[in-house]
Amino acid sequence: MYGGGYIHQEESTKKQPEAVVEDPAKLAEFQARIDRGEKIEPHDWMPTMYRKQLIRMIEQHAHSEIIGSLPEGTWITRAPNFKRKMALIAKVQDEIGHGHLLYTACETLGKPREQMINDLLSGKSKYSNVFNYPAVTWADVTVIGFLIDAAAIVNQLANSKGSYGPYCRALERICAEEAFHLKQGHDAFVFLATGTQQQRDMLQAAVNRWYKPIIHFFGPSDKESVHSEQLMRWKVKMASNDDMRNQFFDMYVPKVREVGIDFPDPNLKKDPETGKWSFSDPDWDEFYEVIKGNGPCNAERLAVRKWAEETGLWVRQALATPYTKTTVPLA
Amino acid sequence: MQSLKDFLYTIADDNLILGHRNSEWTGLGPVLEEDIAFSSMAQDKVGLAYQLYQLLHTDMGEGHPDKVAFNRTETQFKCCHLVEYPIGEYDFSLVRHFLFDHAAFARFDMLTKSAYPALAQLSVKVRGELKYHVLHADTWMKKLGKGTEESKARMQTALNEAFPLAMGIFEPVDMEQELIQHGYFEGEAVLKERWLASIAPVIEAAGLKLPEIVHDKTSYGGRKGYHTEYLAPLLKEMTEVFSIDPEAEW
Amino acid sequence: MSEENNSLDPRIQRLDLPQGESTVKPNEYWGTFEVFLQEKRGKHHQHVGSLHAPDQDMALIFAKEQYGRRGRCVNMWVVKTTDIVAFQLEDEDMFATTPDKTHREAGIYKVRDRIQEYQERQKNA
Repeated sequence: MYGGGYIHQEESTKKQPEAVVEDPAKLAEFQARIDRGEKIEPHDWMPTMYRKQLIRMIEQHAHSEIIGSLPEGTWITRAPNFKRKMALIAKVQDEIGHGHLLYTACETLGKPREQMINDLLSGKSKYSNVFNYPAVTWADVTVIGFLIDAAAIVNQLANSKGSYGPYCRALERICAEEAFHLKQGHDAFVFLATGTQQQRDMLQAAVNRWYKPIIHFFGPSDKESVHSEQLMRWKVKMASNDDMRNQFFDMYVPKVREVGIDFPDPNLKKDPETGKWSFSDPDWDEFYEVIKGNGPCNAERLAVRKWAEETGLWVRQALATPYTKTTVPLA
Repeated sequence: MQSLKDFLYTIADDNLILGHRNSEWTGLGPVLEEDIAFSSMAQDKVGLAYQLYQLLHTDMGEGHPDKVAFNRTETQFKCCHLVEYPIGEYDFSLVRHFLFDHAAFARFDMLTKSAYPALAQLSVKVRGELKYHVLHADTWMKKLGKGTEESKARMQTALNEAFPLAMGIFEPVDMEQELIQHGYFEGEAVLKERWLASIAPVIEAAGLKLPEIVHDKTSYGGRKGYHTEYLAPLLKEMTEVFSIDPEAEW
Repeated sequence: MSEENNSLDPRIQRLDLPQGESTVKPNEYWGTFEVFLQEKRGKHHQHVGSLHAPDQDMALIFAKEQYGRRGRCVNMWVVKTTDIVAFQLEDEDMFATTPDKTHREAGIYKVRDRIQEYQERQKNA
């Protein structure tokens, strides 16, 4: 599960987010439904910005699952025993499954899967930065499986309480499967942490590599953003990036430290008064650079996805029927 | 009984190596839906290998499944050549899956009546699982065989390549007669006939041509530890992490 | 993509990765089907989601692993999305008074009081 709090906005929409004027009566009715705790379903009237933002968010989430299968896939042929081998294949498979569920949810908003894939391949639509980093050793897989999944769960559990029915349903299913991901990730993590010195060293080195990307995962602070406030009223965004990051630290710093591993940041501390964690500056410039496509693995990740689409083309063509029309999944 | 051990090793090794190969497609398949389906079947194979190694371990005193799978040399493996080949493109992988899983279904169907009770029990479960594999393979064969000019040509080419290799599935273990006498297994020759009878109508329905078998022993050797050039690198890759410290728990 | 394939993933190293642009065409993933899953005998089939497939046969094969690879399942249906007919969402108010129609509910039929009153009357007669 790999949404991440940060939803990338294309430049053009950043400048004029409220360009469409909505019918105030419909808008009020829409807001009232959300306030009553009711879900919005695909054929309901919805504000243009609501639809756009949801498409952007669900699509990025879907892409993150699909691309997210690659760093862990790096070790799929090298998992060190039966238990790990089976779990890793199943987990990477689940990520493809999650991507599939999310593309389907997003299609109900009117964007066909083909178009989403094209926007992924062209770089127009983004996915979570965290997957543009390499899984250097086996220990990286355990860190991804434990901590990146944990971070994602914080985000996804929040989003599953959102307002859009199909997204919530997809997330419910995804969250149920995530329980397995987190458990198997924690299991593999603990085996290294409690293993030989060599294994512990591997693990600590991997934790060091992933610390910054994990902080980046939730996105920069967004408390002040007006845009964010609107999305929260619509229950598109369910918690601020800072709050989710804080929740992650609360839950997982102790679980890392209890096995004698630590994050490489002397400033990572919880203020007992406010309950807030502070940490060193994680270099947000790097974050924006990776979004722009300049991370260590951006090029490879997209090239692999292109390979899969190009290589699968003859298979899809062979099954094509000339009268296929675009259909939108029901719910 | 050595012949029974050998027999279980051949099935387990085939499934481990093909499951490993097919898992390479996870995340790279031709469409998401198929990616998921093919991955499940790869997991089934690896899982089946584990259960067979487990039988060998508990009933026959062989090593722990992890040690057996991750710590044997190439010549100790008894898999057939078909499963060792790289995944190639989806045509080859699908045809291999079709040929192999039809044989697997026929084999486990046969083994539900084995005089070795633990194996018969396992076979009942496995047979159900394999029914889906066969349905999946048959559907794909027919769709691609009757798809575009390109898909037809690709499938026929893949079939021509994989079919002779598939003969190696039926290379008997030493002293197979012993297995037959004890009622553990009816023998590879009988199995092969059943296999041919089950694949031929599908190949025909797919509009493809069953290649002729000239020398059916050319792809033999796997059961005796003689392998293609593809197995050694596969094993090296598979055991890379394990080998960092074979005594460590991962 | 750099000219060399320096992937850390041995699977990826074996691929000949494309260099240029790549696009998929409209409808390349075919149409959509709705999937209904029966958890156990005696239960209704329930809608669990959708998928893309070229036809019914493939839809069923895809459905099994995408929607049935965890948990209990004994059977599945797939139906072409376009073959499903539904009410308009804005007509939800058609259903709004249903809970008010208490004459269909068992709960409003309470005659115990009346029986007791009758029995009292009989006793006193």
